[in-house]
Amino acid sequence: MTNTIGYLAIILALFLSLAGAAAAFRAAKTRSSALTLLGRRAAYGVFGLATLSILTMVFALVAHDFSVSYVAQVGSRSTPLFYTVISLWSSLDGSILFWGWILAGYTATVVYIYRDRYRELMPAVTGTLLAVNVFFWLLLAWPANPFQPVFPVPPDGPGPNPLLQNHPFMGLHPPLLYLGYVGMAVPFAFGFASLITGVVGGDWIRAVRRWIMAPWIFLTAGIVAGAWWSYEVLGWGGYWAWDPVENASFLPWLVATAFLHSIMVQERRQTLKTWNILLVIATFLLTLFGTFLTRSGILASVHAFTEGLIGPFFLGFITVVLVVSLALVAWRSDQLRSEPALDSLASRETAFLLNNLLLVAFTFTVLLGTVYPLIAEALRGVKVSVGAPYFNQMSIPIALALIFLTGVGPALPWRRGSPDLLARKFLWPVAVAVLAGLAFWLLDVRHLGAWATLVLAVFAVGLLVGEFWRPAQARRRAHGEGWSRAVLNLTAKNRRRYGGYVVHLGIVVIAVGIALSSTYRREREATLQPGETVVFSGYQIRLDSLYAGREPHREFAEAAFSVARDGRPLARMTPRMNYYPMSTQPIGTPHVRTRPTEDLYLTLMAYARDGSTATVNIIVNPMVVWIWIGGGVVALGALFAISTAAGGAEPTRSRGSSTERQAEPVEAGVGGAER
Amino acid sequence: MTSPPREILTLLTFAVLVAVPCAAFTEPASRGQETAVQAAPLSDAELEARVREIASELRCPTCRALSVQDSPSGMAEEMRGLIREQLRAGKTPEEVRAYFLERYGEWILLKPKAEGFNWAVWLLPVVALAGGLVFVMLTARRWVQQGQARAAALTQKGPEEEI
Repeated sequence: MTNTIGYLAIILALFLSLAGAAAAFRAAKTRSSALTLLGRRAAYGVFGLATLSILTMVFALVAHDFSVSYVAQVGSRSTPLFYTVISLWSSLDGSILFWGWILAGYTATVVYIYRDRYRELMPAVTGTLLAVNVFFWLLLAWPANPFQPVFPVPPDGPGPNPLLQNHPFMGLHPPLLYLGYVGMAVPFAFGFASLITGVVGGDWIRAVRRWIMAPWIFLTAGIVAGAWWSYEVLGWGGYWAWDPVENASFLPWLVATAFLHSIMVQERRQTLKTWNILLVIATFLLTLFGTFLTRSGILASVHAFTEGLIGPFFLGFITVVLVVSLALVAWRSDQLRSEPALDSLASRETAFLLNNLLLVAFTFTVLLGTVYPLIAEALRGVKVSVGAPYFNQMSIPIALALIFLTGVGPALPWRRGSPDLLARKFLWPVAVAVLAGLAFWLLDVRHLGAWATLVLAVFAVGLLVGEFWRPAQARRRAHGEGWSRAVLNLTAKNRRRYGGYVVHLGIVVIAVGIALSSTYRREREATLQPGETVVFSGYQIRLDSLYAGREPHREFAEAAFSVARDGRPLARMTPRMNYYPMSTQPIGTPHVRTRPTEDLYLTLMAYARDGSTATVNIIVNPMVVWIWIGGGVVALGALFAISTAAGGAEPTRSRGSSTERQAEPVEAGVGGAER
Repeated sequence: MTSPPREILTLLTFAVLVAVPCAAFTEPASRGQETAVQAAPLSDAELEARVREIASELRCPTCRALSVQDSPSGMAEEMRGLIREQLRAGKTPEEVRAYFLERYGEWILLKPKAEGFNWAVWLLPVVALAGGLVFVMLTARRWVQQGQARAAALTQKGPEEEI
């Protein structure tokens, strides 16, 4: 019964998206309003059916209906309710169902928001999004069907992957990531529609500006949350292992970041049209490719993925999207031709070009490193690994150059910067950075990578602060406002710009956190008897006791430590090992004590069965918390940047009202100097 | 007016910015070779540092993407012990690496050896970045020149709208 309802919803969603896509594409050509309406209603219908199918699945999971194949695969009567519900995305079929539902949600939302706008573009956008829907509902109807009947019905199931039910963060990190990942279909749809309709300027830029930011924020938050999950759960004291799964989320992020910068160049200077279309296509393709890599089993071995149909399905869809998109780009090359628009090398435009170059090179490097084991296996017949040491070595130089640009880019004016203005803007930040460089060196920051990161961070922050300070100062003079009011008014006037600068500050904070925590991490392992104390990095860590216990879905062994510094007690810490019935390996849960300057991270590594000894790994990780804080700053800045009325124009663009005209002399005072 | 020297300066700044850290991060490898030469008995701290250095470049066979150094698994623990034992017995880091290489094959190295076909994974990104940099700078220069030529031709029309 459950299977029938769920599967019927999937099949109907498949046919409805197929019919809707056909109607919408036809409407794009004929401008028929009846067909446009049909396409739009199909989008709503698909979302309704998707919701029905996913609710059916949640219901089946909660009701422990083991006649449903997916429930039999990931369900278990002993799993707590929360983990039962979120096991929806803990395995392949369920995560694709979740993906399909989010895609249908995005489709319906976009179609609804723009029901009365962008009349030329929207039918093709609807058609494109529904066509992507067709692919995913086909996947769900056939190779990834989560509603296959199971007979005989098993009395109980294995429960979700132990790692995924070990921490409540699993309820947050995957949805964020999916919202970001799947959302990249929307800017792609706008790009694709602009190619179909030939509307390569104006409307598509306005729409895509917002619709690249929304998934970008989710993807950023998802990546940071994933790093946090890895840090809090996996027990190795790190947050980024350059695992293919992580790389798969990072690749579209890099290209989307390049796109949301270069789109500004097109917006202002009507250039880079082809490049921008290519970037938005690449972003979408990388989300598909990432899913293909991580979901097809191809990384385990080149030969593994042919066993299932999902790998070939994805590869086929990627090929179709790639070929059709490139053909459209070639077909529209006349409309996409743009006048070169660059007045000087010392300009914002140049900074954006370099930013794009670095981000694309970064993407290429990570992509190459991720797929190289496949290439080597296919061509040389030898299995090789490409891991963190490779990626770190290759990416640190690029990352340093990017930090440099986070400050320099915003400081460079559009068109051209007069040497005078540049000297004024750069003098203090350079001076402060040089002094900071000396200071850090004297403070014994002698690791070149960490030192360079800190110096460039100081430089970038100096430039960014100047971008707030100078116009605020001008406002104070012009309006007699106080500091806080001046900054407030200034940022409210141009949210996109200043929100963007806040994002840059957040990125710099993350970079500093990564550089210091990865370079100055200290670690040691100690085997202690109860009552014994080990001193490490100023902490006195005493093993109080070792005990075992039982929870509904697992058993555990836990060690209790008292941590003190200079004899003053700081904390009681209880790292543990969890034993899940379906897992031969214990799953450790570290205990992390987070402070602004450093984290103390204890992992229980081993213990004697009789409770006489426990082996603990002690990690002191400086400045890790700043990575999470920086992630929050990035998200808030980005939210502020898009916080204008939905789809509406920037307040600074409409210069009608008297209050805005008043502000102009201030802006002109700064902008004028820039010219 | 952009004079060529300034462009070259910009290019050089970037080249330095990218090259210096590159050099900095290849440093640990050469340091490893240095230490391999002297075979004097190691202090505990030195020994542990060397174990870490080797372990962080070996793949933990039972994990997804973690190194032997980072993995909390029992397998990695054993391998760290093996590295420690062999170093104590007087083996050089190179010999220890060779031991694992022979046992598990190339797959055990998290950093592909820079030799033969593997050069592709090391050099392609550098070539792409350098080529891209040259391309972007040349294109940018051409655009500036074309823009100036056009601006000179259009002086009658007045400045473009400034947003």
